[in-house]
Amino acid sequence: MTEEIRALVGREVSYTAPEELGRAAIRYFARAVGDDNPLYTDDAYARGHGYDGVIAPPTLICETNQYADQPPDADGYAGHDWHIEIPGSRKVRGGNTYTFHEPVRPDDVITAAWRLDGVTERRTSAGQEMLVVSSVATYTNQHGRLLATNEETIIYVAVHVAPEEEP
Amino acid sequence: MTGPEVTVGSEVTPLERTIELRDMVAYAGATWDWHRLHYDADYLAKRRLPAPVVDGQVFGALLAEQLQDWLGPRAVVRRLHFRFKNLVFAGETVRCTGRVIAVAGDTLRVEQRIVVVDGGEPRRVAVEPAGAEVVLRAEAVS
Repeated sequence: MTEEIRALVGREVSYTAPEELGRAAIRYFARAVGDDNPLYTDDAYARGHGYDGVIAPPTLICETNQYADQPPDADGYAGHDWHIEIPGSRKVRGGNTYTFHEPVRPDDVITAAWRLDGVTERRTSAGQEMLVVSSVATYTNQHGRLLATNEETIIYVAVHVAPEEEP
Repeated sequence: MTGPEVTVGSEVTPLERTIELRDMVAYAGATWDWHRLHYDADYLAKRRLPAPVVDGQVFGALLAEQLQDWLGPRAVVRRLHFRFKNLVFAGETVRCTGRVIAVAGDTLRVEQRIVVVDGGEPRRVAVEPAGAEVVLRAEAVS
């Protein structure tokens, strides 16, 4: 591993959404994934089940790039990225662990603070070198309430045996 | 309201979904993610990929939905984890399955997985391991 990549550990970047999450964004997300739960669209129903009104589907906050407000890169991607370039490798998603602390509401203005937690060299079962980059995002709202965290693993695999492309 | 039986070993009602390109375009829009992997034929051909690749984060949404649908509105998903095993392509059908592995007070832990199915038969694993921690709140007085 190069010193250059090792030096990235501990890097932090923070984004605040330019506007509230919004009811339309919540309904759009629920519809896009095919989830017709009225908790996401019906205030009266949500109030009847202990909420102050409609809430967002739990994973929306960890999946949207709304807060990032970045121009799309060459791949068309417009979300948070560490811009790690490793020649001869392919970027693959490893997985995520989400922790949901409070329900997300339409009037939440989300700040996402990303930290690069670790970089580890490993080998695939086929013996190919890979670099595992672990990051964590902490999502808060305009009132300083902790809404969720997202631990994410991105893997850079040597191109020859890459079984997966970034999904 | 009565919910499903929730003891160690209880099966989570499976959730099956066919993900068409149209759904993927909707998801890309809904998440502000316009990565070409999810729709751009030229981009895919250059990388020798047979069809648009389903955004892996969709599976997080489906795993949460599966639990919420099974347990009803009093359930709150507290933690959700998932690892990607294989790509899923436009037009494929996925099935989320799961079972309860621990119950402590109002909190349960579930393990889940997602497989690609074809003609009702499992073809390959899309997501594994995966799982969640869910809290069952007392029903609110309305």
